[in-house]
Amino acid sequence: MRRKVSSSLRDSLVAEIGSLRAFAVSLCGDKERADDLVQETLFKAWNHLESFKEGTNLKAWLFTILRNTYFSERRKRRREVEDADGTYAARLATHPAQHGHMDMQDFRSALTQLPDDQREALVLVGAAGFSYEEAAEISSCAVGTIKSRVNRARNRLAGILGLEHEESEAEGEGLSKTA
Amino acid sequence: MTGPSDKMEKRAPLSSSAAHGAEAEGLTPALQAHIGRHVRAVFDEVAREPVPEHLLRLLKDLERSGDK
Repeated sequence: MRRKVSSSLRDSLVAEIGSLRAFAVSLCGDKERADDLVQETLFKAWNHLESFKEGTNLKAWLFTILRNTYFSERRKRRREVEDADGTYAARLATHPAQHGHMDMQDFRSALTQLPDDQREALVLVGAAGFSYEEAAEISSCAVGTIKSRVNRARNRLAGILGLEHEESEAEGEGLSKTA
Repeated sequence: MTGPSDKMEKRAPLSSSAAHGAEAEGLTPALQAHIGRHVRAVFDEVAREPVPEHLLRLLKDLERSGDK
């Protein structure tokens, strides 16, 4: 049964489309597919609006739907084609990060090199504006898991981009590999 | 028209997560903030794009079909 949707709820849906698209791109690394994901998410959300409690976190609810849609589709696809995690990086990582300098392209490319779960946690908490608790709910895992994923994601990014060196020149981690 | 960017300001800076005890070991707060800014920039780049017409149309169509 579909209830009459208030125009304010519709406006709230529209207002989240931008974030949903950004999240979708961060998951699949492909804009066209991201838009398909958003479309499916909006469709599902609309048809299940009765299960959404107005006044609760609409954004988190939408992100959860999008995420579940993405992973269930990916599971299906994997059964058809052996689609390794590498395809994401292959699609977006146009060139490896340069040492030291961190322009946007380098950073984008470094992001693609993160494991999916770490990138997701970092984007949810660091960019989409969710609390650790909300992110844990969206990714259906423990809060501590989200924290450690965010943690590892940051460390890994710093490593990929060679940023530790900028701040602790003396340690010269990357350069100490003298034979 | 309400853009998604209106929502952006509510976001807590990533560095505030350090206060939750989840600071990345070995990374200074400055470096964490630096990474945080870039994560947000990558995200916002897409989030601030105009919403594709077909997605807006979808909502209108759904609304219409729900009103019958």
